[in-house]
Amino acid sequence: MLATRVFSLVGKRAISTSVCVRAHESVVKSEDFSLPAYMDRRDHPLPEVAHVKHLSASQKALKEKEKASWSSLSMDEKVELYRIKFKESFAEMNRGSNEWKTVVGGAMFFIGFTALVIMWQKHYVLPHNLSHTVVYGPLPQSFDKEWVAKQTKRMLDMKVNPIQGLASKWDYEKNEWKK
Amino acid sequence: MAHAAQVGLQDATSPIMEELITFHDHALMIIFLISFLVLYALFLTLTTKLTNTNISDAQEMETVWTILPAIILVLIALPSLRILYMTDEVNDPSLTIKSIGHQWYWTYEYTDYGGLIFNSYMLPPLFLEPGDLRLLDVDNRVVLPIEAPIRMMITSQDVLHSWAVPTLGLKTDAIPGRLNQTTFTATRPGVYYGQCSEICGANHSFMPIVLELIPLKIFEMGPVFTL
Repeated sequence: MLATRVFSLVGKRAISTSVCVRAHESVVKSEDFSLPAYMDRRDHPLPEVAHVKHLSASQKALKEKEKASWSSLSMDEKVELYRIKFKESFAEMNRGSNEWKTVVGGAMFFIGFTALVIMWQKHYVLPHNLSHTVVYGPLPQSFDKEWVAKQTKRMLDMKVNPIQGLASKWDYEKNEWKK
Repeated sequence: MAHAAQVGLQDATSPIMEELITFHDHALMIIFLISFLVLYALFLTLTTKLTNTNISDAQEMETVWTILPAIILVLIALPSLRILYMTDEVNDPSLTIKSIGHQWYWTYEYTDYGGLIFNSYMLPPLFLEPGDLRLLDVDNRVVLPIEAPIRMMITSQDVLHSWAVPTLGLKTDAIPGRLNQTTFTATRPGVYYGQCSEICGANHSFMPIVLELIPLKIFEMGPVFTL
């Protein structure tokens, strides 16, 4: 049921023809792509056929009245004539939808789920000194804070990348990082 | 050497590397400009309200977007070729060192004025002192003088390896049965690190290259081994 209504919105026969037809049986008849078809498209502003194929008696009378001077038509009659020709106005066919909220919400949900997976991994998979299950084993000793401190001191003594890199950020006179 | 999570190039220790850094900046700027332009065009395509689908025959635009990329490519090619030829300039090296790749260590031969041959193995983790560089430090470094053109003859004794020192702008494949030559001149004293750059087996990640560049006066005094 919902699928039928969704397909009817598309209006083109690109998706299941018979489903689209079932949704619009009163106004849509032809199923063949080679026959002229109605479509509400911004880049195809004048459809090949009118929206309403079989006019009721009052509609037929209105069409007769249309052959006379248009200034004698009331506003409602003009709108009725428009709706015979076209299904949706440009404003209606170009309307936005709330789909973006679903998309953004779904994306954020899955990103959040990924965050949970990463939290699980950090606890159970990445190495640390605690006693729960560890898949990868302990971190190398060169990650210990004292080791990194001695290593950094050594890199500064060696003047590693003194032009724009590490040693360029150290103030050798004051023995501290440059502000 | 690179610091952790470093993305950019290391600072240059040779004139060629300085040229390469400048060229990299130049090429990257062109890449950024083109990418930004394409991103902008894509954005306009996705947000336009225009619906004309019958556009054809845009000869002037087609000519421009053929000629302009050709010009951009020339602007990239000319500096690139300039540096390429610069690396091959005749520079009369003062010293020739041979570097032979093995699985999984390097052998260095200083045979110009005598016969010094030694192996250079990565320091295993258990042999490291606190502050040493894991996976980078070696037992015997390649000691060389600064400000002198040095010729490296690189080959391999078993499989393909590659002798690379990024800060000097060097990377030369070590190919069994072939002698490859590269030259460099270091401008600053210091210790410079590189790693084997051609997959060569289980310990490919564990055969680093360490150069120790010292002033010529000290180099001439003789002691080349450092522990």
